[in-house]
Amino acid sequence: MTAIEIRNLSKSFGAVRAVDDVSFTVEAGTVTGYLGPNGAGKTTTLRSLLGLVTPDSGEALVNGRRYASLDHPLNEVGAVLEATSFHPGRTARDHLRIMTTAAGLPASRPDEALEQVGLADAARKRVGGFSLGMRQRLALAGALLGQPKIFILDEPANGLDPAGIQWLRGFLRHLAHDTGAAVLVSSHVLAEVEQTVDNVVIIAKGRMIRQGTLAELTGNGGGAVRVKTKDDFAPALRAAGAEVEEVEPGLLRVKGLDAEEIGRLALDQRVLLTEVAHERSDLQSVFLDLTGEGERA
Amino acid sequence: MTNLIRAELQKLFTTRLWWAMALVMFAFTAFGLAFLIAQAGVAPANGQPGLPALDDPAWLPLALSFASGANIFTMILGIVLMTSEYRYQTITGTFLTTPKRGRVIAAKLGAGVIVGVFFAVISLLFTAVVAITAVLIGGGSIDLTAGRIPQLTLGVFATLVLYALFGIGLGALVRNQVAALIGGIVWAYVIESILGAFPALQTVGKWLPGGAAQALMNIDFDTGLGESNLLPAWGGALVLVAYALLFALIANVTTTRRDIT
Repeated sequence: MTAIEIRNLSKSFGAVRAVDDVSFTVEAGTVTGYLGPNGAGKTTTLRSLLGLVTPDSGEALVNGRRYASLDHPLNEVGAVLEATSFHPGRTARDHLRIMTTAAGLPASRPDEALEQVGLADAARKRVGGFSLGMRQRLALAGALLGQPKIFILDEPANGLDPAGIQWLRGFLRHLAHDTGAAVLVSSHVLAEVEQTVDNVVIIAKGRMIRQGTLAELTGNGGGAVRVKTKDDFAPALRAAGAEVEEVEPGLLRVKGLDAEEIGRLALDQRVLLTEVAHERSDLQSVFLDLTGEGERA
Repeated sequence: MTNLIRAELQKLFTTRLWWAMALVMFAFTAFGLAFLIAQAGVAPANGQPGLPALDDPAWLPLALSFASGANIFTMILGIVLMTSEYRYQTITGTFLTTPKRGRVIAAKLGAGVIVGVFFAVISLLFTAVVAITAVLIGGGSIDLTAGRIPQLTLGVFATLVLYALFGIGLGALVRNQVAALIGGIVWAYVIESILGAFPALQTVGKWLPGGAAQALMNIDFDTGLGESNLLPAWGGALVLVAYALLFALIANVTTTRRDIT
């Protein structure tokens, strides 16, 4: 059975079409990155999947069922939504105890889950004093309470420091690859997830743009290198065995040599290069252009 | 359902609000009782009848009825039980844990009943200890089965439970915590007080929760404003039950279909 299945999902808020005919699946044992700029419809998709938002049409299913119809949802799905959903006057442990009570889970789970996310020392502290990173860990502890096999995480890296992001990556990979869980993780920052995911779904303005595997995402675009120079560099490159295409005056697209080899050749030829860069892969370009990171990169 | 009600009570008792409410309630009741003791048997200068004296059998029921003044605090706890979920967005986690939302509302109402009963017990105990001590010091005698006291005690329980449910229904409807608290307090202290205090307005006031609770407790104390115009006790009880059902319905309808974004 497919762990997560989203089929022709659409949802509007007033005149805004937040999610428009999105379909994808997540299988057990894999991590899927759900990527898109802020406001792309990621959160609405995930909230539809979790029964918090009622879709206008289409279906969002976990283990083949609607979330709202599950009798023991915490045992099937662990969810991490925004990290602000805590009462500031309550301790971390009490927050988890309430969930444990309501879900009828063993009373030992809160402490075990806090241990798992590295928050055991802060268990009896009020959440009001927590950093954003600690709140993210607490939210993750909540997702772990029922020891589910499906994890749905909305921007879990928000507020984590680099060490925290590193830890999260390892943790998500461990959940999927060692425990066989299906993990769906959203992000608006490619770098946060590109070392974690097996599959990628890219969404923008509510519509699904691309779907692909990690290999497609991290491929280097066929090895082409873009070279900017005002000098006449093409003959030398061709002499060195490269395939050269003049995209526009002063901009060359070079295949067959990598950036270092091109740089060395330019040094030998006393040619001034103003830019040498590997072309981005297809999926990366799509994503970076969507999020506006492309202009800065 | 037991688990869910326990979880709702944990929500309340793992934050500091409930004992702050209990402390304010003690202070509030103590203030009212102090006035009642100080003014007992003192006739106003204009010849109007004053409060009964401490050794008058009518004084104790009047004092005990002050225990129902804690209704404002169970109402606040009811409002907070609902609105803090929206204020701190914990409603997300609540519905993730229990996606069948009607069950969450039922659990909150169940917790509201328990909170109402709990506050009725501590409010009545506190009031009784103070009032009985005052009566004994004032030379009166105590008969807790006498007159209206059993019915009045029941009325205090009904009032405190009902206002907790009222708070939950109001909180589900308004959701904004500050607006709900202000609305609830204005309702209980201003609108109900005015419509309940003047016999001429009691044609409306007797149908409100406060008026119905008064009818149930049957505190027919002459305020000098004329004869009160309340429902019979059983009528008051029926009106209270109808309100409880109405608030439960409001809470359910406003909560089960809404998107949580």
